[in-house]
Amino acid sequence: MEAKYDFERKYRDQVLRCSNCGFCQAVCPVFGSTLRPAYNARGKMLILKEVMDGTIDLNDELIETLFQCTTCAACAENCPSGVNVPDIIKQVRKDMVNIGSCHPAFKGMNEVLKNHTNIYGEDEPEDFERERNKKAEYVYFIGCVGSCREDEATLETLDLLDRLKVDYTLIDEVCCSGVLEDVGYDMNEDLVRKNMDMILATGAKTVITGCPYCSRTFNNKPQYAELKEKGIKVLHISQFLKDFDFGVMTDKLVTYHDPCDLGRHCGIYEGPREIIRKIAPNFVELRHNRVDSLCCGAGGGVRGAYAKNSIAMARRRLEEVEEVGAEVVLTECNSCVHNLANAKLRKQKFKIFNISQFVNKLMEEAE
Amino acid sequence: MEIQGYNMPDDLHYEENHFWVKEEGDLLVMGMDDFAQTMAGEVVYIQLPDEGKRVKVGKKFAKIESGKWLGKVYGPVNGELVAVNEELEMNPGLINDDCYGKGWMYKIRPDDKGELANLIYGPEAVEKWLLAEIKKYAEE
Repeated sequence: MEAKYDFERKYRDQVLRCSNCGFCQAVCPVFGSTLRPAYNARGKMLILKEVMDGTIDLNDELIETLFQCTTCAACAENCPSGVNVPDIIKQVRKDMVNIGSCHPAFKGMNEVLKNHTNIYGEDEPEDFERERNKKAEYVYFIGCVGSCREDEATLETLDLLDRLKVDYTLIDEVCCSGVLEDVGYDMNEDLVRKNMDMILATGAKTVITGCPYCSRTFNNKPQYAELKEKGIKVLHISQFLKDFDFGVMTDKLVTYHDPCDLGRHCGIYEGPREIIRKIAPNFVELRHNRVDSLCCGAGGGVRGAYAKNSIAMARRRLEEVEEVGAEVVLTECNSCVHNLANAKLRKQKFKIFNISQFVNKLMEEAE
Repeated sequence: MEIQGYNMPDDLHYEENHFWVKEEGDLLVMGMDDFAQTMAGEVVYIQLPDEGKRVKVGKKFAKIESGKWLGKVYGPVNGELVAVNEELEMNPGLINDDCYGKGWMYKIRPDDKGELANLIYGPEAVEKWLLAEIKKYAEE
């Protein structure tokens, strides 16, 4: 029987390879907060098998299940059968969109990006009071969440770059549009072109991103290949900062949350820890760390479409902070900072910052 | 009073960013009005700062968020934050369910209660203001 959907054509073997062992269930943040087996990777693979068998069809009733995945890749890391669930889910979402079954939040995001510069449709994001589009050695690319949701964190990161006398410029950036591919759509070529033209016009040889997802998009998506072809390197801020000596230190007990986009998706675990070791000798790991890190729940569009569940996932992560008694939680992802900060309870007295933001605070205090 | 389907009680004072204020003894209680909660959709997060925080007229002192919308909460008067509705921490949807009752947000001890006079108050003023707001948002 001929395959009806692209996911089957591309991933039939992987879907069939799922042995229903349930290793994924133990690490799935969506299952962990909802306890719904259908939301877990195994549940999703069982449903897709039925779709391939023709027992059920893709339709609106499956939106809740198939669009509720943070694409954190914890399942893929723990799958003994080598099933890459995030890749399969992204393809299924495209198939869903093709038949007109899509979560309204994602449909809305795709529409918003046709007329606006960021996923929130905000026409006047914070300008950070810095000159833009000038010639510089580096471009600092903020990202939608850093521009529209965590502007205070971004401002402190920019202050840090100023303190370190980095020759950087902001640009009139638009959404990198990578997220569209995660939620069933194609990247927006107009936005891609605008970003590349603005980056190239600065003469910069390196783009530093505040967002690990933007970094992934610039480095991995063929639409941005021109950057590499023209010798432009793209670094996440944590990679850029790791060789600096800041000359400041805190005696607070500090822990680190590995963002999925930086850790499991890019393999960057040690760089952020190298920075933290320089500034915080009292460091403690969370129970789930590095490749086993527990997702904060913000990825894959889940924060926008299923905010309550997303915040519930972040609350599970913060329980681990309470376990170790940390006073400061550091990460280096504005989506993680945003979701974790939203989830933090009033009784939880620890603080949540990006590493760069925290370093800036320490340097400011030392002045 | 109902204005084009929005419930806007007559006895409340309104801050121009759609937060209502009412007197409760020495304190002022504030929350989000019906127009704002309808426009925002399901509220998923509201920042509940520590008591004791200074509140200044027109200055942001908290954030409120629904799925894809982030709002700022501005001080309606000068004063001190003395209580927050802790129920909203686990159930921010109370703002949608009952914005003038169980969905109240903050209690403020004003420096000068006379500043209430600077807010929008009275059926005529509220109606004029809200109709203009409805028109403004319809055009956006």
